[in-house]
Amino acid sequence: MSSQVAGCVTHTQSEELFQLVPESAANRAIQTRFFETKNEAELLSASAAVLQDLGFQVEESVREVGFLRATKERSAREYGQDITRFAVFLLSTALVFVEQSPIVMPVDLHQKIAAALVTRPVNLDATRQEVRVMFYRVVWKGEGSTGRQGIPPGEQRMEMLRDPVMYQTFFAKLSKAVFLEPFAL
Amino acid sequence: MNQRTSAGIVAIAVLVVAQGCVAPQPSQDLFAPTEAQLKIRSAQTRSFDVKDRQAAMRGVMAALQDLGFIIERANESLGLVTAARFAEPNYYDVVGVTVTVRPEAEGRMMIRANAIYNNKPIEDPKVYQNFFATLERSLFVVKQ
Repeated sequence: MSSQVAGCVTHTQSEELFQLVPESAANRAIQTRFFETKNEAELLSASAAVLQDLGFQVEESVREVGFLRATKERSAREYGQDITRFAVFLLSTALVFVEQSPIVMPVDLHQKIAAALVTRPVNLDATRQEVRVMFYRVVWKGEGSTGRQGIPPGEQRMEMLRDPVMYQTFFAKLSKAVFLEPFAL
Repeated sequence: MNQRTSAGIVAIAVLVVAQGCVAPQPSQDLFAPTEAQLKIRSAQTRSFDVKDRQAAMRGVMAALQDLGFIIERANESLGLVTAARFAEPNYYDVVGVTVTVRPEAEGRMMIRANAIYNNKPIEDPKVYQNFFATLERSLFVVKQ
């Protein structure tokens, strides 16, 4: 069923994907903060520390261009989905009368949450740095079945995380970390 | 009857073996440059008045982030940036892009972008025009 639904989704034109959209500026504002510091390396290592505090594993880092990528894997089980799955199963038991087995919806099982972070100096003297972080996740579904047809597990879904609170929390922690760090010695 | 059946089996076996023996011929022009290739390369490449490769790379990364791309990998010494984004609003398609920054001449950098949509190369020059327009803006912001 889900593959049928996916078939109905209109494919985004690839040229649009390389074009700024009205939301780009808003996304940028949510994902970006400025810090008055000359020490870019310090800001980057503080960012890595904050991501570690949040349970991420740093996977990729390039100091010269101020880049970090970190991921964490967690369960994606949600009660709501299990309840829906049960309700759909119950309602579709009527299918037994037409010699079909009830529908078992696949639910989200596993997710990988990732953060890509880039720092860069915004003025010529490099006294002000910009930190931009983007969070996203990939969700894997479990197995299910529709009628006689089984749905194999492992279907993937990807999405950007755009909850402003998530970004606010990250930057609150980061500004705390860069403020505290010089006193750690 | 029996003889005919066995003859049939032998014939089929010979056919199967013969089929197995035909090796797929590698096409001679597999690596030969074509006109389309040159065209797509010129669409994918543009040079910018930037002195510093690092500055150019940071500009590329900022532009990609503005476009909603997730930076996946960067290599400073090779001037390489790899990024991807989900073809929102649908959750199943991925657009990948690799950008290389190479010094072209004194004070100039050559930037080349290769984009793929679900493992299929994007060959529409419009896509690259859009990318370079955003990149130009982003590099200009750095210069200020």
